[in-house]
This record gives sequence, structure tokens and C-alpha cells, in this order.
Amino acid sequence: MKSIKEMTQGELAAFIQTHLREKGIDVVLSGGASVSIYSSNRYVSWDLDLINPYFVKRRALRETMQGLGFHEEGRHFEHPDTQFFIEFPPGPLAVGVEPVKQVNEIEFSTGMLRIISPTDCVKDRLAGYYHWDDLQCLEQAVLVAQANKIDPEEIERWSEVEGKLDEFRRIRDQLTGRKA
Amino acid sequence: MLEPLLGSTNAERVLVFILARNEGYVREIARVFGGDPDSIQKQLAKFESGGVLVSRTAGRTRLYSFNPRYPFLKELRSLLEKALSFYSKEEREELVMSRRRPRRRGKPL
Repeated sequence: MKSIKEMTQGELAAFIQTHLREKGIDVVLSGGASVSIYSSNRYVSWDLDLINPYFVKRRALRETMQGLGFHEEGRHFEHPDTQFFIEFPPGPLAVGVEPVKQVNEIEFSTGMLRIISPTDCVKDRLAGYYHWDDLQCLEQAVLVAQANKIDPEEIERWSEVEGKLDEFRRIRDQLTGRKA
Repeated sequence: MLEPLLGSTNAERVLVFILARNEGYVREIARVFGGDPDSIQKQLAKFESGGVLVSRTAGRTRLYSFNPRYPFLKELRSLLEKALSFYSKEEREELVMSRRRPRRRGKPL
């Protein structure tokens, strides 16, 4: 088993998730770290958002994290051997107003990673773009869309539910452009 | 009004205030309701931590507003609007009627 110092972002997330699962705690990777994984690190996020969809008590999370050598710093956890820091945003596991319906599983040498799908990852980033005009979020959505198989029709349907169909139509070509 | 659901009076005050004015900061919310700023601050932080609210700074003031990505926002707004309709006319006016237009620096009134 690799040491925490040697672990990539995905390996570290899988490692933590696996230890939490042993305690009956199920968390799912979302946010910027999922962009890193789906873009093969063309975008780098040092923040690992492990969504806590079942509102597991902070004390239970803290016990497991401390057992792995992490310490709590405000809302996140840090480890002396890695630059990545871990957060457990409360659930529900959602993109915009809708629940996430599919969670993907990726096997790493350090354990199994549960992560939102590339299509939901694109939606998650687009939510940031739609609601906060955050162009970095749009860039990240494009990175994921161009490097993975996504479902543009599903993203269009979801954008309409979010009341952002016109915005989606303006950026659709960027998402569905030539594969990287 | 919603205290049995939300668990505290300040939780309702914070949410109703932000519903009425779209955003708010600790001292403003505390002043309108005559509440304790520390308690209001704790409630705002709790809602931000739970993803219900987001905040940004304007100068030295931290302004809170609803998180547009909160999945239950539409339903929460409906509930708060209903609660607000039960407030007295004076309370509603106090919440809704506030100066929004700009005021030139140095203007006496």
C-alpha cells in the first residue's frame, strides 16, 4: 500500500472512502476534485469534497480521519504528508435542484472511489457558471465534457429544469466540441 | 411561526429576512428583530455550513444570501413566503421596505 505522501488525489479519496465505508459511512467525491480526476489533472484542485449525503455526525467522521493521521482545521481536515485537504459538505447529493441518480465507482490500488458521473460533474460545474457567472466553472465543465463520454441531451434537460436553457444553448458547442 | 420546524426563532428570523431583502448582514438582521448579534451570527454560519446560504464580503461586511444551488431552495422560499404572509402588516413593512437606491456620499438626508 502506498503511503499518504505518495497518493494521487484519486488514490487518497479512495483510501479515505474505503476506511469510512468500513465504519458504515458512505461519502461521494464531487466538486473540483472530480474535475481533476475526469480531466486527468488538466485542472488541479487541492480540495477534496466528499459529500456526506446521509448527514453522518461530525464526530464519527473526525474519529476515522484522526485514525488516518488527519487533523481537523475548521471545516476541513489536513494531513502533514499531503497538500490535499478534505471537506465533508453536508448532503443531499444533488446537482442543482435534482438528486444525483448515478454514482460511478473507480478502482484504485488504495481502494474503491465513489464519484459523481462525468455528466453530473459537468452539471455541477455548470451550476456554478449559471448561478454565479463563474467562467472558471465553465472552463472546468468544458474540460470534463471534452475528455469524457457525457450525455448532452441530459445536460440540456437539466439546464431547462434549472431555468437556464438559453445559457446552455449558448455554450453547448463548447461542451460538445472536438474531443481532446 | 416556523420555530417548531426550524428549531429556533433566530433561524426563522434569518431566513425570513433574507427572503424579504435578498441579502443581509448580522447587525442589520439583529437590529430589525431586536436580537442578539452573536446568536444571529451563529445561525447564519450554521445555514452557510449546511449549504442553505452563501456569503460574500463587501468592504468589511459579510453579506449573506440564499445559495442558488441549494436543492430545496424553491420549496424553502414557498414555506417562508407563507410564513411571512402571517406576519403583521407592520412587521412585513419593516422587513420589505428598506432603502435600496444609492445615496450620494455627504448627502445630509
